[in-house]
Amino acid sequence: MAQPHAVVTELVVILAALVLLAAYVTWTAGRLDRLHARVDAAWAGLDAQLVRRAAAARALVPYVADPPRATELDEAAHGALEAGDEARETVENDLSRALRAAVPTLSAGAPVEELRAAASRVALARSFHNAAVNDTRTIRWRRIPRLLRLAGHRAMPAYFEIDDTALAG
Amino acid sequence: MRVGIVCPYTWDVPGGVQAHVRDLADSLLELGHEVSVLTPVDDPEEADLPPYVVPAGRAVPVPYNGSVARLAFGPLSLTRTRRWLRDGHFDVLHIHEPTVPSLSMLACFTASGPIVATFHTATARSLALQVFGTVLQPGLEKITGRIAVSPAARRVVVEHLGGDAVLIPNGVDVRRFQGAQPLSRAGGGPTISFLGRIDEPRKGLAVLLEALPELVELVPDVRLLVAGPGDVEEVAETIPPSLRGHVELLGLVSDADKPRVYASGDVYCAPNTHGESFGIVLIESMATGTPVVASDLEAFRRVLEDGRAGVLVPVADPAALAAALADLLADPDRRKQLAEVGRETVQQYDWQTVTARIVEVYETVVAAVPRDTEFAVDVDHAVDAFADDLAGDDDDPSRLSAALRRWLSRTPS
Repeated sequence: MAQPHAVVTELVVILAALVLLAAYVTWTAGRLDRLHARVDAAWAGLDAQLVRRAAAARALVPYVADPPRATELDEAAHGALEAGDEARETVENDLSRALRAAVPTLSAGAPVEELRAAASRVALARSFHNAAVNDTRTIRWRRIPRLLRLAGHRAMPAYFEIDDTALAG
Repeated sequence: MRVGIVCPYTWDVPGGVQAHVRDLADSLLELGHEVSVLTPVDDPEEADLPPYVVPAGRAVPVPYNGSVARLAFGPLSLTRTRRWLRDGHFDVLHIHEPTVPSLSMLACFTASGPIVATFHTATARSLALQVFGTVLQPGLEKITGRIAVSPAARRVVVEHLGGDAVLIPNGVDVRRFQGAQPLSRAGGGPTISFLGRIDEPRKGLAVLLEALPELVELVPDVRLLVAGPGDVEEVAETIPPSLRGHVELLGLVSDADKPRVYASGDVYCAPNTHGESFGIVLIESMATGTPVVASDLEAFRRVLEDGRAGVLVPVADPAALAAALADLLADPDRRKQLAEVGRETVQQYDWQTVTARIVEVYETVVAAVPRDTEFAVDVDHAVDAFADDLAGDDDDPSRLSAALRRWLSRTPS
């Protein structure tokens, strides 16, 4: 039979461990909450800059001398503005490609500054979004948050990868 | 925009981060933004502080990363940081070196809302990051936008913290160097200028002096104009007597004369052997319109755009250096062309350009911050305006605004 003294010590140790775990879980859940809010906000910021870029691209269409290229740019810009979240990376890449083909052929007076401003902000917003995604994923892949499902039902945030280097400079 | 900047190092002790913060604050003001800088100051009476500096008390010298860092960390610094953040109503908070255990770290843990952080350190072995990496992480997670001043600093961010950082180089006050006049001096002849500590081996003056005999053979009337701190006598003794007439050792020159030293050369020579992370001397020289011959170091190659904006020579190779210098001295057309490319290249490093890019980061970050923080900021503004209106009354406005804030934060947005 165990000594009553030892039982009490054991209980105290277990209780202390439970309290520590509860504190850690509460704190991590709050931290994940903040991280998810940061990802959502970063995505909203990125979305706004992508829309701005597509709008700037459409404004350039009348200045593209070569008709097939003009059509391609118009369609790509249109596609970028219409696309849902799943197809977003593909259509934004299409737009990058159409812009790269069209920009060197623009006639004088084209509002290219607005495009440049939008493109460099897309690059910034994307970098900030992906950093937020990275921070969130790092915590979510840890053992305790994964086992206890501390992120709730929220989907694992995904990186947004497009080629935005060409026009950012 | 109202920008709050935190500098972790003592303002009245010279240093790269302090200079960066000062130049950034000045050019933000020039662009019409409001700026407040929180920084440790040793002696606020003596330091001749710009009006935007808010002193956060004295910093304590601590042995750190192999040298002595002066840091502010403690309850008093925390209180001051809190008060500055509360009273500042910043649209964006810009923290420098957030991993240094000083005001920056305190601000990072205390603040909410849009935060931008600039990483300067290029040494991968940061003690704070190695020991406290995991502890720091929750504070660093609040940073929305990360800036690195060099590819090396960016590597440190990626390796230690994960995730990327936007590369925005250090600014240079290009305008100070533009249109500099050569120093008036006796004797003409093709001139090569050099600026840097003359007794520091990695600045490479020894390599240039070793190249001198061969250079004199190729260009008999060549002159070397050497400026920078160090023991002039000692350096003079290393030059063979027959060649001393070709070398003019100016010693330490004033800040006002620095642009003129660059401008006095037909060619500027940067024979550095290692340890350069940026290449500010090249940018300064190109701003004065003096073409550059430089060692093929990573940082120099980047500034000279792989040789498009200047001549690159193998590191610590006197024969190659002499040949390259002689070639360029004999080719005025090439010098003129390089000077033109150089003037255009340095524009991207001008503080005005660099600040515009940083403001772009601010704007992107403000657009990418969770909505509820924006609400909190609005509440703060509204409450303070309300408290100001009531300030004439007998009621204590701070107590009133605290109560109102509590009440409003319970109200669903």
